[in-house]
Order: sequence, then structure tokens, then C-alpha cells
Amino acid sequence: MLSVKGLRAKVGDEEILKGLDLTVRPGEVHAIMGPNGSGKSTFAHVLSGRDGYEVTDGAASLDGVDLLALSPEERAQQGLFLAFQYPVELPGVNNTYFLKAALNSIRKARGEEELDAVSFLRLIREKLKILHLDDSLLKRAVNVGFSGGEKKRNEIFQMALLEPKLAILDETDSGLDIDALRIVAEGVNALRSPERSVILVTHYQRLLDYIEPDVVHVLYKGRIIRTGGKELALELEERGYGWIIDEEHAA
Amino acid sequence: MTAASDFTSWLDGGRTVSDGPAWLADWRARAAQRARVLGVPGRKDESWRYTSLSALLEQDFRPAAGPALPAASALAPALITGFEPHRLVFVNGDFVAALSTSGALPEGVRLGSLRERLATDPGALEGRLGRVAGAQAPLFSTLNAAGFQDGAALLIDPGVALEQPIELLHLSLGDTGAILAQPRHCIVLGEGARATLIERYLGLDGAGVCTNAVIEVTLGQGAELRHERLQDEGAASFHLSTLHLDQAPGSRYRGVNIGLGARWARTELHCGCAGRGAECDLQGLYLAGDGQLMDYHLDVIHSVPECTSRENFKGILYGRGRAVFDGRVLVARDAQKSDAAMSNRNLMLSEQAEIDTKPQLEILADDVKCSHGTTVGQIEPEMLFYPRARGIAEPLARRMLCLGFAGEIIEALSHEALREQVTEQVGARLEQASG
Ligand SMILES: Nc1ncnc2c1ncn2[C@@H]1O[C@H](COP(=O)(O)OP(=O)(O)O)[C@@H](O)[C@H]1O
Ligand SMILES: [Mg+2]
Repeated sequence: MLSVKGLRAKVGDEEILKGLDLTVRPGEVHAIMGPNGSGKSTFAHVLSGRDGYEVTDGAASLDGVDLLALSPEERAQQGLFLAFQYPVELPGVNNTYFLKAALNSIRKARGEEELDAVSFLRLIREKLKILHLDDSLLKRAVNVGFSGGEKKRNEIFQMALLEPKLAILDETDSGLDIDALRIVAEGVNALRSPERSVILVTHYQRLLDYIEPDVVHVLYKGRIIRTGGKELALELEERGYGWIIDEEHAA
Repeated sequence: MTAASDFTSWLDGGRTVSDGPAWLADWRARAAQRARVLGVPGRKDESWRYTSLSALLEQDFRPAAGPALPAASALAPALITGFEPHRLVFVNGDFVAALSTSGALPEGVRLGSLRERLATDPGALEGRLGRVAGAQAPLFSTLNAAGFQDGAALLIDPGVALEQPIELLHLSLGDTGAILAQPRHCIVLGEGARATLIERYLGLDGAGVCTNAVIEVTLGQGAELRHERLQDEGAASFHLSTLHLDQAPGSRYRGVNIGLGARWARTELHCGCAGRGAECDLQGLYLAGDGQLMDYHLDVIHSVPECTSRENFKGILYGRGRAVFDGRVLVARDAQKSDAAMSNRNLMLSEQAEIDTKPQLEILADDVKCSHGTTVGQIEPEMLFYPRARGIAEPLARRMLCLGFAGEIIEALSHEALREQVTEQVGARLEQASG
């Protein structure tokens, strides 16, 4: 599914990703943990094609398609989804209109027909329910005036609607209270399937209590320095990152 | 062709309303005289500081020899599905009865050609035509007074509410040369009367026509007018339009100005709140791309206490588009409890686009609530990335964000069919801009 090899990327003159390797197979959930500033968001942005990063080396492909050669919209159309750490407000852009444009763009790219208004609304209502979101959200402008928790739930709602092959959730758990966290986790779990993979970027073990990862990685200074099973997350929770970083320095 | 040095060719050889009562002839003669005295405003003239007239003077616009009589089919592209107003059609400034469908009007509403009204019932217009513009009207309004061909006269008796909108549909057809079109509309709403008036200006063949339109609006006590003006002239056209508004106590005026077309367009809104408690709401949306100038001048005068005015204009500039926003709100010494808020926000889609924005509040009273604000900004990169990360192609994402910005003004239009039409037109222009 996702294959990342030796990925290096710069912002300006500063190299942030320094040879990152990662393979995610269909159906797997991977957690990427690591201290602030280690490059987790940068990695998510580089994969999804955000401007401002220069990839200097390495490769990234999704089901054999070279992601780095595609525009952000083409990557999304290929089935990549990024749940933003900081969802963006789009003043004046109606949410329903936005969702419809997104869904139909992706359907069109997949060679499927655009949904008519009735089927679209039915689908939307169904997905809203999963995230315990209110209908009134549809009438509002995208993310404008949403609470922090609503913004995060809205990201997962969009994911549920767009049904990506690979979703990267960038700190979707931060700023959520326990109830919201549970709802988000349920939403993600509802989407788990043998064909769909998820990368959870998180600081906390907390989310992983609800969404059980198959693999846990530690990202530090732009590289993955440790990979393990879900017990690695528990160990990090207990001992912090220091010991791994020390071992890394010793090596 | 050598550039003209002034507008005398607009005054001479004009096909104007020549017959009629003496007061009319007098007024027009005085206007012609004043226009000659005013001459051509230079850049020292504050209201022309950012706007050059040289492109206009380079053209030899002249009044047409006679009315153009297009086939009924010429109207088809101008019609909006689902929008059925009382409609007066003007072609290059001349009223065309054959294309107009004013329909059955309620009692107390007189709507028709100004020229005709002046010929048959001049008394109805005496003391009204030219009154709001006044003797000191600015140049192009004065030129229009001297040279207007025709226009609409709309007189609504006190207490009459007109539900169906009235449309003044102007078509510019340039296949017969550089034509000067000068319609003049006279709108009078009696005490407590209500109406919706739509002015549309369309260039159907990319015509190089110069329109110099004037509309005088008088609102009686407690009267309410929604007034929507959509300008979508052809790419070679010049467009001048001046509103003179006079509001009696408690009247409400809600204006929406949409400017999309023409290579050079200037809109002047002269609004006087001369009656206590009057409300004046002016909104505007303009687009300017390559080779276009959109120039707005607002002159809102609070001369008595307790009036409210809102001035909210938004611009989207792309390519080498230019716009000018010169908004002035004057609160006279006695106009206590005035409430005014002016805002001009601009979205710049290219680095070559240019905006000169100058909102001014002149406040001579001391107990008022007045504010103004201006912004000039770009689409934030993350605002473009977000929809793209959801699979939406860049041109559509850009269009979506621009329409989001413009939406507030489009929403202020009175009819769904008009909102859809304008949304589509704005979208189409933005699509061309990014293509
Ligand atoms: N646009 C940017 N400009 C400059 N530095 C950046 C930019 N984005 C990220 N960085 C730097 O890259 C490093 C990694 O940041 P980030 O990927 O956000 O880390 P994380 O998500 O793991 O907290 C940090 O040192 C940060 O300051
Ligand atoms: Mg981050």
C-alpha cells in the first residue's frame, strides 16, 4: 500500500525529514509518535503535497503510484486523506457545497458517476450520525465558528465520506475531551477494513487505547528511530522518549 | 484618431429631448453650459485622483443618429430564467417599447419612458427631474442632464407596495460604431411606498459603447426601495453611472452594486440622508481583470440626526485589473446619533493587480457611532491547500474561495434567480482568470 523510502525534505535551508522509511500494508493501523518538532506534521504534509517543502531525495508511493509526482488533489483522488492537525476555516464556503465538490471530484477521478442531490444527502446524514454531528453543520461555512472538537470531528466525518485508502490523522486527538475522543475513535474504527490503512500521528497513548495500532514508530529528528508493536506505545507512555533517544545516540 | 480634449462632442450634435416644457429646456441648457465650464477634471481634482480619463477621451463616442431596433431575439441572451419583472428595455440608451413588457401595474404605479412622460404629462416630473442631482452635480451627471435621450420614469403613489420587481434592462450594441448612450431614470416613491428596482447593463456583442447613466431616486417618508444594479458590459465598453439619492425621514434604501464588465467603469453614489431615522445600505462587489478599471465613489451625507448608513464593498482583482474605492461619509454638525460603518475589502489574485482604496469619515457631530475599515489581502496558501487535499482541483478551489469571499454581497440580492446568475457570472470570470 504505502511505501516510503529514504525520504528527505527541506523547508528553506533546513532539512527536516532525513531519510525516512515506512511501509504500511493494506488494513494496517500505524502510530507515529515522537517529541514536538520531530517532523511528524512535515511528513504528513509532504505526503499530501503541501507547498513549501522541497523533497530532495527518496520516494513515496501509494499502491505503486508515485505520490511525489502528483498534485495534492491528485493524491487525494488516489485515495490519500490527511486529517489536519489544524483544520482550515474557509469563510463563506458552504459546508455542503464543499463536501459535494470533494466527493464528486474523487468519484469522477475513480470513474464513478457524480451523486445526485438525494443520494448525496442520504450519504451525508448517515456519516454525520457516526460522528454524532448535527445537521446544522451542513449549513455553516467550512470550519468557521466550529469549536476545536467540532473541527476535529469534522475531519473524521470528511474521511468517512471520502473513504480513502490511506488516512493520516495528524494529532486528531489533541484538544479533545474524553467523550469526543471516544466518538472520533469510533469513527475511525468504523472505517477500518482490510483494504484501508491508517497512520495515527499522536503524542499520547490515550488514543491508542481506543484505536489499537498494529505497528508503533518513533520519529525523531526526521527519521524513524524505533519500530515496535503496541506495547512500545505503552512503554513510551511510562518512560518518555529519553531512553530511546539515548540509545539512538549511543548507537 | 486624435484624442478629444474635452466632451464637447457629447454636447454637440446630440439627439436629445428637445421639445417639452420650458423648465426642461432651461434646465438642460444650464447643464450644457455648466458642463462646458467644468471641462475635463484633472488629477488635481480629488475625486479623479486615481482615475484617468485619457482612455475615454481617446474614443470618439457620439450619440447615435437614431434608435437601434434590434430583433426581439436580441433579448434572449439577456433574460434570466425564473426572473419575471416588469421590464423596460433600453438599447444604447433608447427605450424600446417593442421589447419591453411592463405588464399590468397596480393602481398608483406609473412606469414608462421618461421621454414619453415628458411629452404627455410633464407636470408629473416638474420639480422632480434634476432635483436630487441638484445644480452642482458632478461632470458626468451634468453631461447626462444636457444630453440624455430617454430613460425610465417610475412614480409610485403613497402607500402603494409593488411586489413584482421592476427591471431596467440596458443593452449595449456596438455594431454601428462608437456610440454614446445616455439614459436618465427618475424614480419617486411616495410616503410609505415600497418597490424593488433592478438595473442591468449588458454588452451582448463585446460592444464598444459608452454608457453614461444617471438615476435619481426620491424616497418619501417611510418608503422602502431595494435597488440592485448589475453591470456586465462588453470588454470594449466604457460605463459611467451616477446615483443621486434623497431620503425622507424613516425611509429605507438597500442598494447592491455588482460590477463585472466594461474596460473602464465608474460608479458614483451620492446619497443624502436628509430625513431623521433614514437607513441607507450600500453594498457592492466588483471584479477587475486584465485591461479593466473599476472605480467607485461614494458620497454619503448624514445631514440630520439618527440616520444609519452601511457601506460594504468587496473587490476581487486578478491579472492586471485595477480598482479604485473612494468612499466618503460626511456627518454634519447637527447629525447627532448618526450610525455609519464603511468597509472595503479586496482580494488580490495576482501581483500585477492594483487597488487604491480611500475610505474617509468626516465627522462634525460629537455623539455618533462611526467606523471604517479596509483590507487588501490574498488567498492564504493553506486555504487553497485544504480543499485540494480533499480532491478538489485548484481552479475550482480558487473559485470556491473567491465566491466564499463574494458570497455575502451576492446574498444581499433580492431574488434567487439573480443570485444564481451573478454567482455563475462571477465564477465564469474567475475561471477565465485562472485559465
Ligand atoms: N513551514 C515551516 N517553516 C519553517 N520551519 C518549519 C516549517 N514547518 C515545520 N518546520 C520545522 O520543522 C520541524 C518539524 O516540525 P513539525 O513537522 O511540525 O513537527 P511535529 O509535527 O513533529 O511537531 C520543526 O523544527 C519546525 O520548526
Ligand atoms: Mg505536528
